[in-house]
Parts: sequence; C-alpha cells; structure tokens
Amino acid sequence: MKRYLLYSAPLALLWCFVHGDVTILNFLFGLVLGPFVIKPFKPLYKFGQEVSFKDAISRIPKEIKYFVMLIIEIIKACIVVGKIVIQPKIDIKPGIIAVPIDTKTHAGITAIANTITLTPGTLTLDVSDDESVLYVHCIDASDPDGVRESIKHDLEKYILEAFE
Amino acid sequence: MNSLLLNLALLFMVFAMIPCVYRVIKGPTVPDRVIAVDAMTTVIVVMLGVYSFVQGSVFFMDVALVLSIISFVGTVTISKYLDEGVVL
Amino acid sequence: MSSIDIVLELLSNIVLIIGLVFVFLGMLGLLRLPDVYNRMHATTKIGTVGAFGVMLSILLKVGFSPMGVKALTVGLFLLLTAPIAAHMIGRAAHRHGVELCKESIIDEYGKSYK
Repeated sequence: MKRYLLYSAPLALLWCFVHGDVTILNFLFGLVLGPFVIKPFKPLYKFGQEVSFKDAISRIPKEIKYFVMLIIEIIKACIVVGKIVIQPKIDIKPGIIAVPIDTKTHAGITAIANTITLTPGTLTLDVSDDESVLYVHCIDASDPDGVRESIKHDLEKYILEAFE
Repeated sequence: MNSLLLNLALLFMVFAMIPCVYRVIKGPTVPDRVIAVDAMTTVIVVMLGVYSFVQGSVFFMDVALVLSIISFVGTVTISKYLDEGVVL
Repeated sequence: MSSIDIVLELLSNIVLIIGLVFVFLGMLGLLRLPDVYNRMHATTKIGTVGAFGVMLSILLKVGFSPMGVKALTVGLFLLLTAPIAAHMIGRAAHRHGVELCKESIIDEYGKSYK
C-alpha cells in the first residue's frame, strides 16, 4: 500500500500539470487516482526492489549538475545547427560512427541516448544487441576518434554519476 | 504593440509551414514524409499556443497537448511498420 | 505597472522572437539539407527547442495560471519525446534501405545487422 502511494506521487504531479491547477487538493485527488493506473501495469514497476531514500537524496546535486550541463549543450547545439542551415552553400561531411559506452542499466542507456540526440551535431540511431555500442549519426564525421573521445569525457561522466 | 507582435508571429509560422508541405509532396522516400509531418505538427502546436494566448482561452492548449501526443504515437507506429512490417 | 512587469514583458518578447526564429530555421533545414538523417538533425534539435521557447514565453506572459502551466507541460512533453521519435524513424529508415547522401564519408552501422 505504501509502495502504491510512492509510485502514484509522480502521476499525481502529472495530473496537476495537465489539469492546469497546482494546488494541494488537486494533488491529493491525483494521489487517489494513481493506483487505478498502476494496477493494470503492475509488471512494469519493480515492486520487489528495495528503495533507499538516503541514496536518492545524495544523488540530487549530481543530477542538478547534469541538467545544467544539458541546458548549456542544448543551446550550443541550436547555434551549431542553425549556422549550418543558413550557410549559402551547404558543406558537410556526415557519417555514422560506432561509439562504445560503459553504462549498464537501461535507465542510463536511455539517458545517454537522449542526451546525445540533444547535443551538437550528433543523433543516436540504434543500440547493438549486447547493449555495449551506440550507433551515432554525426553531421561532421571527419574525425571519428574525436567524437568518441568527446562523448566519453564530456557526457558519460555526468550520466554515470547521476543515474548509476 | 503586443497584439501586433503575436499576429506577426502567427504569420511567420505560416511561412515556416511551407517547407514542410513541400517536403511532404516532393520527399523522395517515406521517412522523409514522416519527419515532414512530424515537423508540421510542431509548427501547428506552436501556432495553437500563440493563438490560445491571443484569444485568452485555455482550451486551445488542451488541443495542442493532444495533438503532440498523437503525433508522437503516429511517428512511432509508422516507423515500427516500416521496420518490421507489423505494428503490434 | 511596476518595473518587474516591464522586465518580464520584455524578456518574454525576446524569448518569443528567439523561439520563432529557431522554429523557422529548423523548417528551413528540412528544405535545404541533403538526406533524411541530416534533416532529422534540423527538426529534432532546433524545431523542438524553438517550440519550447515559445511555450516558455507564454508562461512568462501569464504567470502560473492554468494556461501557463499547460504551456509548460506541452513544451516539456515535446522536449522529452522528440529524441525518441527521431531515434525510431532513423533506425527504421536505415533498415528500410534509405541510402546516406553522397557526401557521407563513413558508415559503421550498415555492416552490423546484415
């Protein structure tokens, strides 16, 4: 029962945002509605797993650092691609590069794939079957080793700290 | 001043929709058309957001939310169909 | 009308103009870039961030009223789902047999699934 309340808190927040009224009464109503959504999709949630609040709270500063890095990278990406689009003659060397990654959990792989898509000049296409290599389409692939190096050092460090 | 800026914004978004329509009609392959429709939905969502503020009515924002959800589900469905030949 | 209102109004107009220019640049990229994968770069990055900017400017204009909160929800939803849609359609396009454009210099994905 406690676990149901824990999992329906994010759903209640989502209910508040979609409804448009962020009040405490509305949040409680969302909390009541949450279990009706969780019940049919019970296999998707990990009911057996132990949760430790200490671990979750100690991770918050690293997540904030990750989001700040993400916002800066997104703004940089917009400027880079915008410059390419308004050139009078488009001069690019695209290509697909295989990038090995160290993240193991599914949440970490999802986070790094979405982060790569939102950062300058790169776009994730697929994960290999053993989940160790990402295939990345790059708008300037003249230096494949440089791209691998920059993903490893600039992005993956933050993800490993924040999600694993 | 404010209302003029917002009306100009709506006009500008109509101009932004022309490349999408061109790409939907001309696009050499099927994935080209799919991403053109996806981009067109983004433009329509922006237009609905600005129009909602111009009219002072909340209900256009609901339309924008539902339209973005439908666009996401439609794109995923078509790409699964292209990839595997079945949807489910 | 106090000074903070004027600052917020000015800020929201600036964000609105930046967002509109970004959306327009994304659609221009859809027209000009050579193949599917490069076009996806334009629409998923610039188009989505431009849409989020417009929604943020509406939030700055009306504050945390129902309209502003819903605008923020729409913007966050677009920002969350655009990379997933791009990922799916790019994978499907490569497996469906869409060639890379002739300027491409390297393709390490093609030999991984055949």
